[in-house]
This record gives sequence, C-alpha cells and structure tokens, in this order.
Amino acid sequence: MASRRNHFLSRYGESLGLVGVLLLLVAIFSLISDRFFSDSTFHQIANQVPALAVIAVGMTFVIITAGIDLSVGSVLGFAGAMLGLTMGDGGWPLLLALPIAILAGAACGWVNGWVTVRFAVPSFIVTLGMMQVARGFAYLGTDSQTKYIGAPIEWLGAPIPGVGISWAFLFAVIVVIVGQVILTRTVFGRYVLVIGANEEAAQFSGIRTRPIKIAVFVIAGALAGLGAAFASSRLASVDPNAGAGLELSAIAAVVIGGTSLMGGRGSIVGSFIGVLIMATLETGLAQIGASEPIKLLITGIVIVLAVIIDAWRAGRMKRLQP
Amino acid sequence: MRLFTPAFSRLFACLLALGALVFLSSCNDSDEPSAGEGEGGKPEVALVMKSLANEFFKTMADGAEAYQAKHSGEFSLIVNGIKNETDLAQQVALVEQMIAQGVDAIVIAPADSKALVSVLKRAQAEGIVVVNIDNKLDTEILEQSQLTIPFVGPDNREGAATVGAALAKQLENGDQVAILEGVPTAFNAQQRRAGFEDAMKKAGAEIVSVQSASWEMEKANNVTAAMLTTHPELDAILASNDNMALGAAAAVKAAGKEGEVLIVGFDNISAVQSMIREGRILATADQHGDQLAVYGIEAALKILSGEGEPTDRKTPVDLVTKETLP
Repeated sequence: MASRRNHFLSRYGESLGLVGVLLLLVAIFSLISDRFFSDSTFHQIANQVPALAVIAVGMTFVIITAGIDLSVGSVLGFAGAMLGLTMGDGGWPLLLALPIAILAGAACGWVNGWVTVRFAVPSFIVTLGMMQVARGFAYLGTDSQTKYIGAPIEWLGAPIPGVGISWAFLFAVIVVIVGQVILTRTVFGRYVLVIGANEEAAQFSGIRTRPIKIAVFVIAGALAGLGAAFASSRLASVDPNAGAGLELSAIAAVVIGGTSLMGGRGSIVGSFIGVLIMATLETGLAQIGASEPIKLLITGIVIVLAVIIDAWRAGRMKRLQP
Repeated sequence: MRLFTPAFSRLFACLLALGALVFLSSCNDSDEPSAGEGEGGKPEVALVMKSLANEFFKTMADGAEAYQAKHSGEFSLIVNGIKNETDLAQQVALVEQMIAQGVDAIVIAPADSKALVSVLKRAQAEGIVVVNIDNKLDTEILEQSQLTIPFVGPDNREGAATVGAALAKQLENGDQVAILEGVPTAFNAQQRRAGFEDAMKKAGAEIVSVQSASWEMEKANNVTAAMLTTHPELDAILASNDNMALGAAAAVKAAGKEGEVLIVGFDNISAVQSMIREGRILATADQHGDQLAVYGIEAALKILSGEGEPTDRKTPVDLVTKETLP
C-alpha cells in the first residue's frame, strides 16, 4: 500500500506543486486587479496557449532524451507558410492543408533527428541550423508577406460561441493527454525515459536508441506543424515571422514543468501547467498594465523561482522515498 | 506513509484557503455592473502599442499617459506594448487580454495591417470602441470582414514625399539613392516607401536598391553596409524610420563615407535630432509622435460619448531639418 502511495506521489505530486504556483499567481492577480478573476480572462488565457502547448509537448519528449530542439519556432513558421500556399493561394480547406503542414514539420524534425544521430553532433547545433533554414523557407513560402486567409482558418482559434474557449485549445488538451499517455504508458515512452537517463545502459540492454531519438524530433516537428495551424488561426493570416522566439518560451515552460534538461525525467502534464503559468503571468501583467521592463523582470524571476521551488520539492520528495 | 510532507500540506492548505477567499470575493463582484463602465463610471481606454523599446512608441505612450494625467477625471488608461515589433501573436493576445479586462475602448497601433483584423472584429463584437492609429489596417480586408474601424493618423506618403523633397534639393539628376524599407507588410512602410519613390522620381534620382530592415537599427546597419559595398556610388539613403536612419548613419561612418552619403529618416526621435544638428542626418519628419496616441484617445472618447463619428482623421506631419530645430 505504502509503495503504491509513493508511486502516486512521485508521479503526480510533482504536478501538484506546479498547480500550487499557478493558483498562487491567479490569487495574486485576482487581489491586484478586480477584473482578473473572470470567465473571460480564463477563456482568453486558454485561447492564447494552444500553439505553445503543443510545441511544449514535443519539446518535452526531446528534452527527456537529453536533446534540445531550437528549431520548433521556425518550423512553425515554415509549416505556416505551407498553410498559406495551400489555403491562401490554393483555396484548399483546412482538413486537406493541415496534413501538409504537419508533414512539413515532421520532415524538418526527421532531418534534425537524422543528422543528430547519424553524425553524432549535438542537437543544439543541428536544430540551431534548422532554425535558420526553416525560417528561410518560411520567408520563401510566404514571399515575406503576411497572407490573409480569413474565415477558413479563423474558426479554429476563435472562441466557440457560448462556450468561450476555442477548438484549438480543446485539441491542444487532447494532444497533452495523448502525449502523457504515450510517455508513461507505452514501451516507446519508457524507452524515451531510459535513453534520457542513460543512453549507454539503454543500448546495452538491447534498445535500438537511434530510431527513438529520431522519432522524438519527428514528434516535435509534427507538433510544430500542428501549432502552425493554431497560431495562424489566431491571426486569420499566415505570418512569415510566426513562432519566432517560441522555442525559448517552450523550453522555459518545459523546465518549469519539472522536466530535467539533463534528460531522463519529465512530465507532459507538467509542461502544460508550465505553459499555463507563463500565459497567466503574461495576461495578468498586461491586465494590471505593468510596464514592459517590469513585465520582463517579473517573468524572468517567476521562471527561475518556479524551477527553484520544483527542485526544492523534488529534493524533499527523494528523502521521502524508502 | 503520509501523502504529503507537513510543509507541503501547510502550503497547500494556505493556497486552498486563498483560492476560496478569492472565489468568494469574486462572487460578490458579480453583482456590480460588468463591462461597459469602469470605476466611478469613468470609461477605460486601452492603448495597445507596438514595441515600447522603440523610442517612437515609447514617446507616443508617454504622451498618452501625460494626457491621461491631465484628464484623469474623464477616463482611465492602460498602456501595453509588445516586445518585438514582428511578434503579431503577442499583440493579438494583448487585444484579447484587454477584451477580457472589459475596457470600453481600444486604441491600437497594429503591428500588421492584416493579421490584427480578426481579433479587432471580436473586440467590436463585444461592444468595444476600436480606433486605429499609426499603421492603417488593410482596407480590403476590413471591407471583406464588413468592419469599419476609424483611422486617426498622419498621411505617411505625403510626409515621406516632403522629406524626400528636402533631400532632392541636395541631389542632382541621375544621382543614386537607396531606400530602407520598414516591415514590408505594414501599410505605413508601404506608404513611406511610395512617398520616397514619388519624391525621387520627381528629382530624377535613380533608386538603385530598396531593402527592408524591419524598422530595426541593427538590421539597417548591416543592410546599409552591404549596400555601400554593392553601390559604391551611392549618394543618399532614405530610411523609413529614424531607427533605421541611425543604423544607416553608423554604417556610413564605418565605411568612411560620412558627408558623401546623405541620410534622411522619419519620426523625429531625439537621437536623430542631435544627428541632424551635427549634420550626419539631413532631415526627418515629425508626425508629432507624442500626440498620435492622444489623437486616437480623443477620437475614442468622442465616439464613446456619442459626439464623434467613427470616421478617419488626418493628423499633421512636419519636416524637420537643421534650420527648423531649436
């Protein structure tokens, strides 16, 4: 019985601390601004996060294998350009265009993974290169201009009338749930964790690590492709600069979410809560009308504090284990 | 085995208590009139800017805050800007945040003429008065979305043509000039480029290069350095904003061509004023940046009070040279 409880604690206790941080933020902003605690604020936060949320899911997989993917923001831009070409110029419906965008993202991810594994180079550098390449393709694909698509994509990111949250958010939540199940309940997920913890040991125990390491980059790329649809739907347009800097927000959210940059430990749900923490912070600071320097200061401090709280709690948790 | 450590249990209990407290207090709030009226019936105006790291927009925001301080009895103001001028998603989020905040009017300097239309449509649907300043929204897409959003701002094309004409006085027929464009998707960037082109055509100068530096100083510096290498005979650079003019001036100096290549800008930021006095930059245009947001706020307040019509309004643009500076 005790061991089962410990099991529960080690898996979900982690997220509880994060939920605490999130609630604390909500409480603080509610006390400062009398309009923060409202449906419309929470809907707004929800509708703001889908692109970052799915990218953070992919990033979590990559970081758990002790890799990093700096290209996701640019890949989102490139996949967006594909949406612009198919939906904007070609007049395709989203249902046909979306697979193209996801494939484009997955292709970039495959290149990232293959080069990293084949030539044994750090993924940091490979994806840094892809960051430039994909952005270049994004500019080529859009002719460096914002392309207006309008209603065919707008519905995805706009609040559902009478509900307030968007389809994009619902889809993102599904991706988070599926991601968490894959990570914790499948053989693939176990391999990802094992490779991150100790790649050599994984190899000695007979796991073929290369395909798995490539697969996590493909997942990250494909989800960036999905994120492109979410990001474009919020603008009803395709923006050549879409996703710029998103990789850093995703990494911050993943690390806040308790995933170790050293690999081997992490949680998709944690990353999602990390995304919510960052979005809540951004919304709250905007609603109280904080100035730009103050916003940057507070955001930076909260990111580091959240990680410190998490590390401190993880330390206590370890001591608890028999 | 306990489920939580004692310290964590205490923290959790505190959080729960705090959450309950907040929930209760918010329930009381729901009796008050919701969106529509701010505290004390004062209308609340949100100013949504581009990058506040850009002095031009900072000046605009400061002007608006000074105006609000003088008229604090009439309305309250929230100012927000984005970090990076090309971060459209963040600006969309800002508008949504202001909708959630329940403001009465949004005065916006859109970072993109097309991509902001969708969210502004939602704002109008919520009954919020929307006024467009600085960069005009795309007319075609506004029509397509069956939307009327009044634009209060300067005629950028006319202003750029005035600056171009001042430069033309120093040029001869057939001289080579280059244009540093802003973000090419932005309407004001297109208008300023068109204004420069009008003036240069009139002067008979040859435009050898038009390149975008995305409104940014550092980018303008690199682009200009490259231009000076490709076009060693270049006589003048027309920058679509002062940030880019500063970047161009630094590149010209680095290339040892100071005095040979004339530079003009647009916006009249303070750093450029000293450069004009030193003669390193020839001219710029003053569109009274500190008043631009104020004009927009005035228009929004008039519409809110039912006095003003939601129609476009042109604001003045003046030429700034060594002679006009105090």
